[in-house]
Amino acid sequence: MQTLRRFTFVLPTLALVFAFAVYPALQTIRLSLFLPTGEFAPLANYAEVLSDRRVLNLAGLSQGRFPMGSLVHTFIWIVIHLPITALLGLVLAVLLQNVRGGGFIKSIIFMGMVIPGAVGGLVVRFLFERDLGIVNQLVVLLGGSARTWTAYPDTALLSLIFGSVWLWTGFSLVLYSSGLGTIPRDYFDAAKVDGANELQIFGRITVPLLRPITVVVVVMSIIWALKLFDYVYAATMGGPGRATQVLALEIWHLAFVRGNFNQAAVVAVLLGVISLTVSIPMLRRRR
Amino acid sequence: MLRRSFGLLLLAFLLPLGSATAQDEVTLTLVHPWAGAERALFEPVLRAAEEALGITIDDTVLRIEEHMVLLPTQWAAGTAPGDVMFAGEPGLVRQAHAGGHYVDLRLVLDADDFTPGVLEARTIEGMVYGAPFTHKPKPGFFYRVSFFEEHGLTPPTTWGEFIELLDTMLAIDGIDAPIASGNGAGWPLADTAEHFLVAFGGPQLQMELAQGVAPEFAWDLVGAIYRDVLVPMLEAGYFAEPLEWTTALERWWRGDHGIYFMGTWILGMIDDPDDAAVFTIPGTLGITTSVDYMVVNAYSDHLDEAIELAAWLATEGQRLQVQEGGHIATYHPATDPDLYPPAEQSVVEAMEGAVFLTGLHDTVGGEFRETLLDQLQLLWVAPDAVDDVLLNVREAWERVTGGSQ
Repeated sequence: MQTLRRFTFVLPTLALVFAFAVYPALQTIRLSLFLPTGEFAPLANYAEVLSDRRVLNLAGLSQGRFPMGSLVHTFIWIVIHLPITALLGLVLAVLLQNVRGGGFIKSIIFMGMVIPGAVGGLVVRFLFERDLGIVNQLVVLLGGSARTWTAYPDTALLSLIFGSVWLWTGFSLVLYSSGLGTIPRDYFDAAKVDGANELQIFGRITVPLLRPITVVVVVMSIIWALKLFDYVYAATMGGPGRATQVLALEIWHLAFVRGNFNQAAVVAVLLGVISLTVSIPMLRRRR
Repeated sequence: MLRRSFGLLLLAFLLPLGSATAQDEVTLTLVHPWAGAERALFEPVLRAAEEALGITIDDTVLRIEEHMVLLPTQWAAGTAPGDVMFAGEPGLVRQAHAGGHYVDLRLVLDADDFTPGVLEARTIEGMVYGAPFTHKPKPGFFYRVSFFEEHGLTPPTTWGEFIELLDTMLAIDGIDAPIASGNGAGWPLADTAEHFLVAFGGPQLQMELAQGVAPEFAWDLVGAIYRDVLVPMLEAGYFAEPLEWTTALERWWRGDHGIYFMGTWILGMIDDPDDAAVFTIPGTLGITTSVDYMVVNAYSDHLDEAIELAAWLATEGQRLQVQEGGHIATYHPATDPDLYPPAEQSVVEAMEGAVFLTGLHDTVGGEFRETLLDQLQLLWVAPDAVDDVLLNVREAWERVTGGSQ
């Protein structure tokens, strides 16, 4: 009886989860197995999408030049963006922990999280613009020559990745800041009594005890990078020459530009599989 | 008694309100792509339409890239963002035709009233989906007369003179690059590249590509024009690095660049339109243009008024719009040169005798449009990628049109 009552309370949430998450996910998987003509062809769409230069450009990859395909671009994004934002967030959280006005500085850094991705994309576009961008003013000051960094295939993706660091660092900063507050002061005091220096305390106490937070930061950052759309769309629309095309933008392209919802579903399924493959083991390890 | 009196009082108060509501003006949502200075030029037309039709127009800005995302999802829900929308992109029109999302306007528009071919370009199986508004020809390279006079430059009459002009401008102090390159979503680069296709491949090439009937060798010709004309010019530094097109416009106007390939709409955006003149690549026989098409949303709550508005804008609206500058009419009664500001009269006259060509990316649309615009942004900064660019553009063209004949 009690189980039934509990189940009754959970039922509305379950219904919503089923209607807005499970059912669409199942439909997406089903869609990916059919051709636009309605013919059941479980592998055809997957083979076509994975052999499309837009998704995986082996020639570009082997020569080390952009575009390399949205799958590779997304991977590059994660590999560069994740460590920078996580490390920056951690370092800033530690540095601002006991600083007067630290909360205010954290709020400013966190503003990047509040700004819509599309606005962030526009801001970054202008940051790297040849005449108006602050980046070029620094480059010229250092003796370099100015150019619109997002306009060139070899620098466009990296510009977007570095430009997005300020948008996402606030997330890891806030998590690490709250995580630092949960570490008992006694640990730090004991370490100091034992003669440990600041670096040793950071490496032996702070970092290990923040591991659960790090797992969340890593998983969320990967998911954020995988579903990145608005920021790239506003900054470069995936160009020039698809050099900044990422997976979520690829879904949009296939569905709304090419009009092939089945192929779009394939990329969505791949995106889901990658997200789950990364996040499930990490969240399990957290337990 | 008191309650009844109060009821009567309330009724007396509400009745006039009810009749006022019935007489209220219909409010239509008009979705167009113009913001800033371009929107300001459209404003008088909107107000005149309200007055002429006794309606209220709530206008909002959405560009074709946004329509391509929004409309298919909204159609699925039996709705659309506006009653009348400048959403006549060919790919969308094809989808709308299949799903019955746009209203057939053949009863309110007569092909004889418009520039030949304009209405037909948005006609599928006899159904007219696009009400043509004005068009904006891209006659060639705009230059400042005062700038040319100051540096002793003259518009070229041969290809050799054109290259000589570019070399001369390249040597002028303060000139960043002779030709400004507008960017944004890539369309200014596509317009420029199309001008080279028309100049070297002739109007026929452009027409066949636009209609999706280009033979195999047409693409060899496109490849040759890209490789042997455009790429050497890009490598020689004649074209500037692509910049957001209005920023490029400002730079051209202040003298950082000598010439700028654009459409007539810039005449409404510069301080002194009389100081601007235009020349084509010598020997060019055709002028490309892009017509803005309105469609009527089949899910509109005010279908009759929406159709009436589209028809009014396509006719009387054009007559008013051309007087504001930057637009050229597709509606015959509005093509009288006297209606135009002086700067545009020369363009209207130049259009006479030239072959009227619709823009390639605007006509083919869909994935081809997105690919062409994207790939040209690559070509402009990495001319060595020309083979990849041509391959990607051709593949997209074949996917949309069904392939070479």
